[in-house]
Amino acid sequence: MADNAAEARVDQSLVARVLLGNDRRAFEQLLRRHQGTVRAQLRRLLRGDEAAADDLAQETFLLAWRKLDQFRGEAKFSTWLYRIAYSCFLQVYRKRPWPAGDADMDEVEPSPATSHAVNLQLDFERGMQQLSAAEQTVLLHCVQLGLSHDEAAFVLAMPLGTVKTHATRGKAKLKAWLAAWDETATEEQTP
Amino acid sequence: MSHQHDDAIEALLRKQFDGPVSDEGFSERVMRLLPPRRQRMAWPLWAGVGMGMGACWLSLLFSPLLHAGWRNWMRGELSASAFALLLAIAGMSLLASWWSMAEADDR
Repeated sequence: MADNAAEARVDQSLVARVLLGNDRRAFEQLLRRHQGTVRAQLRRLLRGDEAAADDLAQETFLLAWRKLDQFRGEAKFSTWLYRIAYSCFLQVYRKRPWPAGDADMDEVEPSPATSHAVNLQLDFERGMQQLSAAEQTVLLHCVQLGLSHDEAAFVLAMPLGTVKTHATRGKAKLKAWLAAWDETATEEQTP
Repeated sequence: MSHQHDDAIEALLRKQFDGPVSDEGFSERVMRLLPPRRQRMAWPLWAGVGMGMGACWLSLLFSPLLHAGWRNWMRGELSASAFALLLAIAGMSLLASWWSMAEADDR
């Protein structure tokens, strides 16, 4: 928590250096600090399409450079960047269908395990494909990127209640999808 | 849903996530593409301030209250009109200070 606050203060001071002194080096530091997570966010949203994700990430940072004076510090700088990245993603994919997942994984029933951990992970991937786009997006931001529900609501421009509902519903669906694994584990434990 | 199940699902979700992507020249590419930063133009703000002051001056130019207040103030008489003038100046100064402090705080 203290680390997060310290990181946020570093970001704030770098932003101030860019705005007051037109300091490109300060922006480069911001870029290097956040490019990894923004690109990871976009790669997940684009289902692993690295080239398209990097193009959008580039667009995100160019927009952040142009609109930096609109960053008022109400949210963390990283959250503000996630929001720009998500808006860029929506602008590109609003008129196109949502990026499709791995075709091999669609509509496959959970199979009995041979190598438990690998199969569980594969089955979990299949389970993720069963979730709606909104549920996947909310779980990406809330769990995988570690944002709070409030921050996710800001990034996704969704009401807080909707974010919470998608998170709960998504986890419930994954739990139901993986129920067979619980039964298998119980059967293995009983002699 | 139990907390234990939530934790297990969240652990699987985190495991599935590859984490931050390594730079591999991305930042350099973006820095090369950055356009020069445009300085925010100051003239619209000052033009607005000037026009506002001009409009105030025009609207108060023929007001007897302003003239009487100013005259009394210069003579050192604290009449009602001089007092109103002082109050107006003090109020505007306070507003300007508050605005400056709010702007400084945002930076």
